[in-house]
Amino acid sequence: MELIANLAHGFGVALTLNNLLFCLIGCIIGTAIGVLPGIGPVATISLLLPITFGQPATTAIIMLAGIYYGAQYGGSTTAILLNLPGEVSSVVTTLEGYKMARNGRAGAALTIAAVGSFFAGCVSTVLVAASGPLLTSVALSFGPADYFSLMLLGLIISAVLAQGSVVKSIGMVVFGVALGLVGTDVQTGQQRFTFGIPELSDGIGFVSIAMGMFGIAEIILNLEKPEARSVMSGKVGSLMMTREEVKRATPAVLRGTAVGSLLGILPGGGAALASFGSYMMERKVSKGRHEFGTGAIEGVAGPEAANNAASQTSFIPLLTLGIPANAVMALMVGALIIQGIQPGPRMVEAQPDLFWGLIASMWVGNLMLLVINLPMIGVWVKLLAVPYRHMYPSILIFCAIGVYSLSNNVFDVYQTVFFGLFGYMCSKLRLEPAPMLIGFVLGPMMEEHLRRAMLLSRGDPMVFVQRPISAVMLAIGALALGAMLMPNIRKGKDKALQE
Amino acid sequence: MKLNTKDLISAALLIGLAAIGLWLNQDHNLGTARRMGPGYMPMLVFWLQIILGGIVLFFGLFNGPDPLDDWSPAEIGFLIGGTVAGVAAGMICAHIPGFLSSGWNPLGIGLFVGCMVISIPPGWRALFLPSAAFTLFGLVLEPLGFIVAITVTVIVSALADQEHLDRPLGVVGLCAFLCALCWAIFIYYLDIRVPLWPQL
Repeated sequence: MELIANLAHGFGVALTLNNLLFCLIGCIIGTAIGVLPGIGPVATISLLLPITFGQPATTAIIMLAGIYYGAQYGGSTTAILLNLPGEVSSVVTTLEGYKMARNGRAGAALTIAAVGSFFAGCVSTVLVAASGPLLTSVALSFGPADYFSLMLLGLIISAVLAQGSVVKSIGMVVFGVALGLVGTDVQTGQQRFTFGIPELSDGIGFVSIAMGMFGIAEIILNLEKPEARSVMSGKVGSLMMTREEVKRATPAVLRGTAVGSLLGILPGGGAALASFGSYMMERKVSKGRHEFGTGAIEGVAGPEAANNAASQTSFIPLLTLGIPANAVMALMVGALIIQGIQPGPRMVEAQPDLFWGLIASMWVGNLMLLVINLPMIGVWVKLLAVPYRHMYPSILIFCAIGVYSLSNNVFDVYQTVFFGLFGYMCSKLRLEPAPMLIGFVLGPMMEEHLRRAMLLSRGDPMVFVQRPISAVMLAIGALALGAMLMPNIRKGKDKALQE
Repeated sequence: MKLNTKDLISAALLIGLAAIGLWLNQDHNLGTARRMGPGYMPMLVFWLQIILGGIVLFFGLFNGPDPLDDWSPAEIGFLIGGTVAGVAAGMICAHIPGFLSSGWNPLGIGLFVGCMVISIPPGWRALFLPSAAFTLFGLVLEPLGFIVAITVTVIVSALADQEHLDRPLGVVGLCAFLCALCWAIFIYYLDIRVPLWPQL
């Protein structure tokens, strides 16, 4: 019953005019960038971070979250109609969705994508609401050693699940942790790696790193590629699904929701992983598996439900443990910290407005997205007529103004340029930027917990294996790393991530 | 031996950055495992990074080939020349009293000059013109104001795309649109503290 009272409180927060407005803005922006290839949720959220600082923390997070799950809706539209995935998480939707559109069932594919996402969104909202307080009470019994191991596990899994070489990804995580150590040491006040630059004494700007590595570096990479955009010629057709299609899609949506919810909670998981996972599953177990490749509705229903479910359940580790599961959640941590809120298990109690308001807003946002997307598909497809050469100067300007307005200091602007060039270099060398960002966010927290744990244990490192929670985390981390040594599993992962 | 160029460079980058970090870390007190000083965690992190770099290096000797994109001699030349020019410009500016050496201007000027010089060969334009435009925004914003900064940034970044050069009118339209939009969002709505017009 407490849950219902809390949810009611959450709806009270989410349904205030200002929060509704920003939820709508987030959903609209999310849908737009979902439709547009070449700009993803990570770049957009880092771009809009400075704009949200003037808002209360709850409003800011509600809007940023709307961008993330809104992008999952928008991404499917162009994937189905134009064979053009707007986001990584809708790559698999092109496989069956576009075939369905070619068969004249575009309307049905769009409907199941939106309705499936809505259903998954509702279920995962409840899941977040139910598991939040539960996990929080567990987390409150965590000691510093347990926290350290948990963060280590998060970093390992985010590296293991990143694309490409695991060793290189771990290298990037470690480098991210190192970057996070720049600035004033909390315990002694000593300046570390600041080169006497006063701007660095608070640490390297989080927004500069995110905007540089994801915003500017992405612009440059997109400019290098020749532009490939087609304009839709065919018709959407009826949005209604046939009875046969409903019958086949329903179990796929259920399975997709389950797979997506699970993979979203996993550290390092998220929307993209979930849609791949669900697609693999549908190809193996669904009734229409022999039709895969010719436009099977299960191949749209499952992954689309899964990516939306995952985009919401990936908030669970953030809201309950303060640990970001992926790059988008790392940005949310940044947003919270700049707002003066330390993410962690005490957040549910200390910030009930934020926690329950966000959950309620997810449900409201999903409803909005259903309305924004289905009847207005034509509008979104027209958005593709905006050529990239008009988009990139706009993105650049927004980044520049945003990063400057953080502290009215041009140093932040120049710092961002450096990270842009560094991010470009990393992507050319196949060094993943996402694990680095997560390492950067977790680095300072890990140091603090490590110091505290070692102080409590009088310098004995065995404390990490003696405490049961910590030992389990480390064992899982070791298993995940060990699994990557097996050639079969590694090949399976590469295949799953590259398809 | 099948050298994996990308991995070898990545390894060099990881090891090099960690080595610099360890060298800088000499200034910090390590403390003991029980009472860690400011230098303890950096030490752990950088040694781990060196070990990981070593593993990447080792496997990079066998799992190739994975060459980098081909660079023409002109591109390599301008990359080096631009870097030198940028550093030189920054250092010269730092010694000229007045606007050129105030605040972070030497850094910005050096960065801008470097990026513009490297952008001379067409192969580098997509990479360095947006970077130059971004830097220019920082240089121009405070002395010349918001509107001029947006205009010059759009113009320089537009040079990176051939189609913009063919249709300059589109760039003018884009400038006008972005000035109006950014004014509405950042000045009117968010009320950020920047000069709108040149400070004479």
